[in-house]
Amino acid sequence: MDSDEDMHDANGSESLEDDFYSEDMGMESDDGDADYDFGNEETDDDAEDINLHRQQNYTILSESDIHQRQEDDISRLSAVLSISRVAACILLRYYKWSVSTVHEEWFANEEHVRQVVGLLENPIDIPNVHELTCGICFETYPRNMISAAACGHPFCGACWRGYIGTSINDGPGCLVLRCPDPSCGAAIGQDMINKLATEEDKEKYARYLLRSYIEDNRKTKWCPAPGCEFAVDFEFGSGSNDVCCKCSYSFCWHCTEETHRPVDCGTVAKWILKNSAESENMNWILANSKPCPKCKRPIEKNQGCMHMTCTPPCKFEFCWLCLGTWSEHGERTGGFYACNRYEVAKQEGLYDESERRREMAKNSLERYTHYYERWATNQSSRQKALADLHSMQTEKLEKLSEKQSQPESQLKFIIEAWSQIVECRRVLKWTYAYGYYLPEHEHAKRQFFEYLQGEAESGLERLHQCAEKELQIYLEADSPMKEFNDFRTKLAGLTSVTRNYFENLVRALETGLKDVDSSNSQAACSQSSSSKSAYGKGSKGGKNKAARSGGPSRNSDDDWSCDRCTFFNPGSASTCQMCEHHQ
Amino acid sequence: MANSNLPRRIIKETQRLLSEPAPGISASPSEDNMRYFNVMILGPTQSPYEGGVFKLELFLPEEYPMAAPKVRFLTKIYHPNIDKLGRICLDILKDKWSPALQIRTVLLSIQALLSAPNPDDPLSDNIAKHWKTNEAEAVETAKEWTRLYASGA
Ligand SMILES: [Zn+2]
Ligand SMILES: [Zn+2]
Ligand SMILES: [Zn+2]
Ligand SMILES: [Zn+2]
Ligand SMILES: [Zn+2]
Ligand SMILES: [Zn+2]
Ligand SMILES: [Zn+2]
Ligand SMILES: [Zn+2]
Repeated sequence: MDSDEDMHDANGSESLEDDFYSEDMGMESDDGDADYDFGNEETDDDAEDINLHRQQNYTILSESDIHQRQEDDISRLSAVLSISRVAACILLRYYKWSVSTVHEEWFANEEHVRQVVGLLENPIDIPNVHELTCGICFETYPRNMISAAACGHPFCGACWRGYIGTSINDGPGCLVLRCPDPSCGAAIGQDMINKLATEEDKEKYARYLLRSYIEDNRKTKWCPAPGCEFAVDFEFGSGSNDVCCKCSYSFCWHCTEETHRPVDCGTVAKWILKNSAESENMNWILANSKPCPKCKRPIEKNQGCMHMTCTPPCKFEFCWLCLGTWSEHGERTGGFYACNRYEVAKQEGLYDESERRREMAKNSLERYTHYYERWATNQSSRQKALADLHSMQTEKLEKLSEKQSQPESQLKFIIEAWSQIVECRRVLKWTYAYGYYLPEHEHAKRQFFEYLQGEAESGLERLHQCAEKELQIYLEADSPMKEFNDFRTKLAGLTSVTRNYFENLVRALETGLKDVDSSNSQAACSQSSSSKSAYGKGSKGGKNKAARSGGPSRNSDDDWSCDRCTFFNPGSASTCQMCEHHQ
Repeated sequence: MANSNLPRRIIKETQRLLSEPAPGISASPSEDNMRYFNVMILGPTQSPYEGGVFKLELFLPEEYPMAAPKVRFLTKIYHPNIDKLGRICLDILKDKWSPALQIRTVLLSIQALLSAPNPDDPLSDNIAKHWKTNEAEAVETAKEWTRLYASGA
């Protein structure tokens, strides 16, 4: 999650962050760290982990960078082997631009290398006669109209042009072009191309040569974003596979799909294949209007967060994904967030074989639909957030700065919030692919996963809603509002809390949910067969309880949710631990 | 037809094919299209095709000699590198084509292919399989086909 690190960097106030960590997870200030991690010993390694990621293990190359590197490699090789630059270029291309391989092979057996690559040691001149016959068109020409490679096989200008042009139009194979004489293997290098080809073909050839430097090299790849012309030079052996291009597209070096941490490449490939196989069935999911579950009027989704409010007079608030009442989507009202989990409707009664098969088929499609819809919706929600982040950076921040008479430097928290939303939507999206492939029978893992995912998701919904809707009030205000400082605290708090949730989620998935040890899973399984109540059974203290799995349950009915920032506080606190608002 | 501005090379090649034909090969251009050749190849001695006369057609596309000629057997032949439409699997007719090759070299290569079938690079899977599993029997079939279809009647 490189962009996540960027957020750490951007945050610039580590101490503030640390406070959020301990307050959020520790709840009781005197309670120490001992029991808040989920039996997870890696908390201390975390800082190290982040540092590792910070050492960027790749370089983004522009076209001129690529050119420069290629030229440098050619010059260096030409100097070391005392050969022409054209010959050095032919050698490097043949050995996939690995300077060290060329060295090894050349010094081991120069003669052999020359032979396979088609570099003659002693060039042969065109016979010194007045007229020569072209080996292709059989016409006779004066010597000065005939050209040959190092082998001296004579062909006229028009035939060379045709020969080279045909090869270039056939594709990158032109880079290994040999003399037209079938018994000869002499290499045709860029000098011949530049001397004999049309302008258009010269350009194409140069393009292929540049592309080859990236595409034939194990260490480099083009950024897969459409229209992006940057390439990436990747250093193997170091931690992360994630690459963030200068065009702002992030992708996985290994599989070149969009960054999918914490999900592995194999799962991503399976999921993408599945989606394309099911795409016809799934088109309807991508519709951006659904009937209000209460009044049935169509409601359009034009915002990033999933919290929908029907138009007046209905004003019913519901969740875009499950169409359930929104009030059941946060622990604030005592509900438990379960929108993320898929549950098969219990089958009662007897079915005959064909009915059962039909039922199973329906279930498997329903199950896939559940995950796919959440995956796809988070994807589009991320796109929306990305656009919002952009408009924030380019215009709205300035406007807000005027309206609220705040210097723009004081509004960085808004950019941080939006960056966090973008990154969290991405992670959340991929966790639905993860969830789809997590085996049904691994109850404990499933429940733990769904718990973490649910927590992260509900946190993100609050953050997204706050950044999207509440911010609007301050943007539209006629004069500075004194509540703006409260808003700042709330949004910054939500950003931090959400980041924390997602870090937990990512860490858990990357370690294969290994934190679900045997005692934990027993506890989880014995609690209830209804998965909904496995962690934090329907009580508003759900988060705390699970966060201290195994520990004594200490949440009571006194626990309260902050009116201002929605942070969930223990009953012992009289002011909000997040924003210091009084209960 | 479009014979008026036939490239010098094609004219020269044609003249040479007619004046000094390669042994066992004849190629003559069609009267109304100088890019279309009627070809006859005699089955090489010591091959299952011995005694056969094989008819082929050869066409020089517009891009010739930058592009390879198009050649096809018209006579039915049992050969692992030739399919039932008479198409030929031969590298110089595809990626190994070079404009310095000629009609003559192409036809000589085809003749050589009749002497040395290559079941490892097959065009006809069934025949290649037959060749690999029971060569003697495959050769018998090839001889039989030569008698049936290429006896020059
Ligand atoms: Zn010529
Ligand atoms: Zn040559
Ligand atoms: Zn890019
Ligand atoms: Zn990947
Ligand atoms: Zn409604
Ligand atoms: Zn929302
Ligand atoms: Zn929902
Ligand atoms: Zn608060």
